[in-house]
Amino acid sequence: MKFDKYLRTILEQAGHEAQQDGSTTIEAQHLLLAIAARTETSESRLLSSVGLDPGGLRQALDREYEHSLAAAGVSLQAFALPRPSSAPEAARHVGASVRYALERGLAGVRTSPQPAHLLLGILQAEVGTVPRALGLQDIDRTELVRRIEQTLSGEQRQAGAGG
Amino acid sequence: MAALKTPTIRQPDDALAAVAALRRLADQLEDAAVEQAMRAGWSWSQVAEALGVTRQAVHKKHAQRLIAAGVALRRR
Repeated sequence: MKFDKYLRTILEQAGHEAQQDGSTTIEAQHLLLAIAARTETSESRLLSSVGLDPGGLRQALDREYEHSLAAAGVSLQAFALPRPSSAPEAARHVGASVRYALERGLAGVRTSPQPAHLLLGILQAEVGTVPRALGLQDIDRTELVRRIEQTLSGEQRQAGAGG
Repeated sequence: MAALKTPTIRQPDDALAAVAALRRLADQLEDAAVEQAMRAGWSWSQVAEALGVTRQAVHKKHAQRLIAAGVALRRR
């Protein structure tokens, strides 16, 4: 699948993930949820191998949210308001964390970008919601990055040998 | 009564993450509170004044969602 078509598919699913979160913008964690939701892909298998299947990833993100609030002395349980109705449409605006992930993932890509480059860009973030969520689960993010880079360089070698 | 723990934010990453999480919580609370008020028959003007924003701002941000949710809205 061409990368721009893949990206559109992921952004569409990520928009639904953002809508579920009550977020008006699509952020890096929504991309990651969308990638995890596409089971049977090598990217989702890699995430599943460290416990980040769609359910596990949601749990990790929820935990990061509660943890970050707790640092400011705020507990989600303290609020008893009913859950608000969701926005009628999926989010379409892309937040800064998505732009950073794309910039990082596609930096230095000379040939055609692959789906794994997007995951790479998300996981290479040193700060923000995604690395904190993974850190709280004791997931070795740098090892995940290394595995993706290894796969990508193997694919490039094969492409070079074939062409 | 359980003693309240005083949170201590020592690291900048914790402080910055807390800001992001509090913004998200504020947005969620606003969505829930505005919906609750409008379901209880408040007007847009009352909700706007309670939030300290203009009526236009609160309408623009919430009307579409509340209409889709089937909330009966007062005109003013």
